[in-house]
Amino acid sequence: MAIIEVKNLKKKYGPPAGGLTAVDNISFEVNEGEVFGILGPNGAGKTTTLEMIEGLKGITSGQAFLDGHDVSKDTRTVKSLIGVQLQSSSFFEGLNLLELLETFGALYNRKVDAMELLREVQLEEKAKSQHKELSGGQKQRFSIAAALVNDPKVLFLDEPTTGLDPQARRNLWELITEINKKGKTVVLTTHYMDEAEILCDRIAVMDHAHIIALDTTQNLLKLPGLSTSIHFLVDKPLDIEQLKAITGVTSVQSEDHTYRLTTDNSEATLSDLFKLSREAGVKLVDLQLHQPTLEDVFLKLTGHGLRD
Amino acid sequence: MFTLWKLTVVAIKMFVRNKQAMYFTFFFPIFLMVVLGLINFDSATKFDVGIVLNAPPSAQTKQFIEGIKQVPVFEIHEGIESEERKALQDDKRAAVFIIPADLIPGPSEIKVLANANEPAESAAAVNIISGMLDKTALTLSGGANHFTVNKEEINSHHLKYIDFLLPGLVALSIMQMTIFTVAFLFVTFKEKGILKRMIATPMRPSTFVLSNVIVRLLITLIQTAIFISIAVIFFNVQIIGSYWLIALIAILGSLMFLGLGFAISGMASTVESVPVFANLIAFPMLFLGGTFFAIESFPTWLMNIAKYLPLTFLSHSMREVMTKGASFAQISTDIWWMIGWAIILVILANWTFSFEEKRQ
Repeated sequence: MAIIEVKNLKKKYGPPAGGLTAVDNISFEVNEGEVFGILGPNGAGKTTTLEMIEGLKGITSGQAFLDGHDVSKDTRTVKSLIGVQLQSSSFFEGLNLLELLETFGALYNRKVDAMELLREVQLEEKAKSQHKELSGGQKQRFSIAAALVNDPKVLFLDEPTTGLDPQARRNLWELITEINKKGKTVVLTTHYMDEAEILCDRIAVMDHAHIIALDTTQNLLKLPGLSTSIHFLVDKPLDIEQLKAITGVTSVQSEDHTYRLTTDNSEATLSDLFKLSREAGVKLVDLQLHQPTLEDVFLKLTGHGLRD
Repeated sequence: MFTLWKLTVVAIKMFVRNKQAMYFTFFFPIFLMVVLGLINFDSATKFDVGIVLNAPPSAQTKQFIEGIKQVPVFEIHEGIESEERKALQDDKRAAVFIIPADLIPGPSEIKVLANANEPAESAAAVNIISGMLDKTALTLSGGANHFTVNKEEINSHHLKYIDFLLPGLVALSIMQMTIFTVAFLFVTFKEKGILKRMIATPMRPSTFVLSNVIVRLLITLIQTAIFISIAVIFFNVQIIGSYWLIALIAILGSLMFLGLGFAISGMASTVESVPVFANLIAFPMLFLGGTFFAIESFPTWLMNIAKYLPLTFLSHSMREVMTKGASFAQISTDIWWMIGWAIILVILANWTFSFEEKRQ
């Protein structure tokens, strides 16, 4: 069941901002309980899309529904149903974490068990600290706690791991997965491929204000034209023509005793390759499989890299 | 209501825990008052007033001059005009009055040479003398004598510089506190994305603004009460007027400058630019708003500007009530002007300040 429905959503900024179209006529649905990723380079329109659904930015045309509520009409209802982590959010100075969470609870007109929320994001020993005393990873975990004060149906995370060290990123991924397991729908934006691959059930790929692909992560990785490459060493040379005849193989390169096959059907290619080597009495050493990544998907879809 | 209550409590906590805000709200003005109060404590108890008669006085005039001599705060020097002018230039006189030989209400005029270096003293001397003139005029025209009571108050009250300063300082502190704490806080919130984070919740922006307004009105009252207490206890200042009226004026003034504070919050895009905007507006008022000097001592053109400044209405009405015991009716002009300014500034704030980003 779709908890978010986006129909022909468009955001155009007025002449002072150069008449820029930040989001151009996009449509998608997010299913209840999934982790939905919006992947794209900086300036693709990811944040604008998110902020329109959150009711933070006006919608130029089109519609967005959250749990059946029209975002531009029932904005306050929508805001009470969602939890939001903005790309860069600070909090009031002079208050400790417990006080901050209680204050955020009050913004939703409810009392919260602030300590329990801190426990959920593993910050209970920081309860009396100020927000500015936290590390980058702790700050992100805290802003997720703040986004959870109203027990939201949907959690929006805007580039949650940007600027974090690898350890902190992994921690945050675990936290997001846990929150999702508890039944919360998560919508996140990212420009990290690995993040999208690990966290997301489905991904919308955005570039220049458009959605250029939308599918499950697995299907995106099976996009026609993306190939897996297989590298290996051999003790005796293999016949190139025989290798080329293997199911799925699209090209073969060899140098000394090193071979590189590209394939669009890695399972079939591998089993045929093993059969071939056994029959020829050739030993395969150091076999490596390079599966396509979302980076390749993106390159394939747009013709340019994600970090251009 | 829960949201408003909680946000108000939070705003109080943030204010009290902010060392800078506390310093500028309480310690700095108290420090200023103590220093200025001590410096002028003795020199201001008596004003040197010169009296010049260019011809032998009539009986009427003589009686009037005798009256002046009775005023306890005056140290009277009689002399010829050139000598008295010289004394005035040497700062030995607060004011010199050139009194016509025959004092008749209407045609005759008293010429005042006021020492611009001692604006408070000269203004006070002029006030006292005009009070006495009014009484004389009334007596001459056979008017009832019940105005005497009011006159006696003016005469019996030793107007020291601290008496003049206190209301001005209270007014100034209200202005500084509201403008600076609001502008710094909200521009910081805007810059750091805190306002944006807050409107991602179902809270109404007006609730948040209201909680901050309530807190600043409370602080205004506390601030005013503290300054008055210190002045009364340590400097023997007498508050003649109604404390309720003082509270009302303080709140009106605070509302006016809260509007200005929010307007500045809308105009300043970074925290660094807050002091630029705030000082551009507040600094001239600091000197022209009747805090340290009476605006009557300014050149006419400057006085014509100064008398319409928001701070002038606040300090003037505050002074009228504190030092002269003015009633609501007597300061109603100031009140109306403050209400007018408050409306204008709140509209301006509404226009410039918004929780949303400027871009759309």
